[in-house]
Amino acid sequence: MADLSMTYPKERSETTTSRKPGWWSSYRSRLTPYLFIAPNLLLFSIFVFFPLLYAAYISVHQWSLIDAPEFNGVQNYTRLLSDGQFWQSLTNTVVYSAATVPTSLFLGLFLAIGLNRKLAARTLLRSIYFLPVVVSSVATAVIAAWLFNDNYGIINALLKQAGVGPVAWLSSPRWALPSIILTTLWVRIGFCMVVYLAALQSISPSYYEAAVIDGATRPQQFRFVTWPLLRPTTFLLLILNVIYSFQVFDLIFVMTGGGPGFSTTMIVQYIYQAAFASSEMGYASAMGMVLFVLILLFTLIQWRINRRTEQFV
Amino acid sequence: MVTGRVNSSLAQSPVRLTMAVWGGKAEVDAYNQVIAKYQAANPNVTIRLDVIPFGQFYQQVDTRLAGRQAPDLFRVTYQQVGRYALGKAAIDLSQFIDSGYSAAFTPSVWSAVNYQGKPYALPHHTDTFALFYNADMLAQAGVTVPTSLDQAWTWDRFIQVAKVLKEKSIGSYPFAMSWQNSAVHRWMIYLYQHGGQLLNNDLTAPQINTPAGIETIAWTQSWFKEGLVPPSTSVKSAEPVQNLFANGTVAMMLNGNWQIPFVNQQMTKFKWGVTYLPRDVAMADDLGGTCVAISRDSKNPEVAADFLKFLVNEENMRDYISAAQFLPVRKSLVEGGVQYALRPDEMKVFVEQTKTIPQHLVSTVVLPTWGKFNPKLADELDLAFTSGQSPEQTAQNIEAHVKNILLSS
Repeated sequence: MADLSMTYPKERSETTTSRKPGWWSSYRSRLTPYLFIAPNLLLFSIFVFFPLLYAAYISVHQWSLIDAPEFNGVQNYTRLLSDGQFWQSLTNTVVYSAATVPTSLFLGLFLAIGLNRKLAARTLLRSIYFLPVVVSSVATAVIAAWLFNDNYGIINALLKQAGVGPVAWLSSPRWALPSIILTTLWVRIGFCMVVYLAALQSISPSYYEAAVIDGATRPQQFRFVTWPLLRPTTFLLLILNVIYSFQVFDLIFVMTGGGPGFSTTMIVQYIYQAAFASSEMGYASAMGMVLFVLILLFTLIQWRINRRTEQFV
Repeated sequence: MVTGRVNSSLAQSPVRLTMAVWGGKAEVDAYNQVIAKYQAANPNVTIRLDVIPFGQFYQQVDTRLAGRQAPDLFRVTYQQVGRYALGKAAIDLSQFIDSGYSAAFTPSVWSAVNYQGKPYALPHHTDTFALFYNADMLAQAGVTVPTSLDQAWTWDRFIQVAKVLKEKSIGSYPFAMSWQNSAVHRWMIYLYQHGGQLLNNDLTAPQINTPAGIETIAWTQSWFKEGLVPPSTSVKSAEPVQNLFANGTVAMMLNGNWQIPFVNQQMTKFKWGVTYLPRDVAMADDLGGTCVAISRDSKNPEVAADFLKFLVNEENMRDYISAAQFLPVRKSLVEGGVQYALRPDEMKVFVEQTKTIPQHLVSTVVLPTWGKFNPKLADELDLAFTSGQSPEQTAQNIEAHVKNILLSS
């Protein structure tokens, strides 16, 4: 680190006249890493941290976006507590998460194990499963909306061939959420698969050799070798998927717009409607803050649990 | 004859204006034509047309207003213009127009662009609703359509026709209504036809939780309950109804005159026509159409206002509406008639229907709080149409939203 002093002209230390001489040399080694992360931190501040603070500021105001913000204290937050629609959209989000997160983890792992072997067309299959992740989610949603369309969708056409239906996939409160969940699985499985695949390939074969010598069966190998070693990956995917499902927007916006009724209105959908349909930026920001705190809490709890379990691995 | 030359008091230095609009091809072409004409007469002015999809239009305009980067001019429906006037996001145009200027416009649209006695936009055109029908399918069902306004079908007759179509399995569904994409105010057509109102006569209290209101909710709900309309055509869905009509999924659609170019182009397998809306105790129709406002962010409001007046002058209004199949808002054009290149006979039906728009309906939907109330009305009606919420409960909920939002100052 000492040779870094060459890159900084000596005069720099003299500009900080308020400090005692030698301040720069003693702090330099500690400052250098911060200089390295500065560009990232700067962008993070502009695009994440500052908007977050601004949202907190707006959340205690009434603002329609086109007039001047008016301070109204905690009114937005108290209104939240008695807003049935807010709680319903939160419940919908929890149901949606519970239905999509474990399933996509499980199926992703299943596919990853399957595609970790030497198979013909292995690369092609991996690409097919991963495709919806790479493609813009709006495009995926448009395709899904066509597949599920009541009147001219492929799914209903196939059902008709089989003598069933037609099912009002996206326009009945009963089937709209399941349609969204199926589409989400289609998108998320590929993502989970790729992350698991990378983790599986980093497990040293010597573990399995040792397990085989000890007489472990295939299921036992999975239970005592693979699963524990995948734990950090599972944890990461769990966090990422829960955050995804709590922030899901584009898929629903395109497929159902939150309807029919409120059957597919998720929390972000409701925030969007409050902000841009009802022009209530303050109320929408207050809901945004609540969502932020919820995701933060969830992550912290998970993080604690994971740290405790890591010790046993 | 208006030449569109900016009066000499305006600076001759180069001026750039942007105008935000939404619209189909016919509309965008018609806007561009007026812009080209204005630029030819005023070489120092460049006008850029910003075409935004309708679904994101207000969101984009509002966001740009918040960022103080709004377009100089923007298209806006009569239902939304009050919101911009209230928020002082659109500028008061009275400084740019003569005292007698308003007399040339039809009173209902002129009242719609005014807030506290000052105009915040200039009316550009109007449109309204009628019943598009698939002539082949109705002939197959042995049904003839009304040929004059006083012969319009009653609600009962209309439902009877729908049921005949359903029984004979002609088309997948008998009909569909275009009230998606935040156009839920069109539900009010039926409320007024049934003798109901959303608000009392002087617009101070809700009047929806009444037998007329509840019965109208029940009637429109029965379309969905009895499978007379596709389930995907409720007020919160994104299904383009005109596609369902053009491809023969539905035999009839309740829609606006601006769909004529689309239907004419896309509906190649069937013959089609337009007849009058069904009526109940009264005939009523919806005030559609748009006006154009100037935003508070405009650096050149005088030039923007000059272009705006040019856009809505008699000659350019006539050119625009005849090209894009809209209806005029200048008395001279209403009385003199407009030559439509496309389907002039069908356009006559729409022109006649405009005379049935109740002034009270207009006064209700142009309240500055309407924009905020609109999504709540959509929520409640959607619950009634798709999730079995009872008409009584729906009327009660709408009444609460009327008190909390529409009538909140």
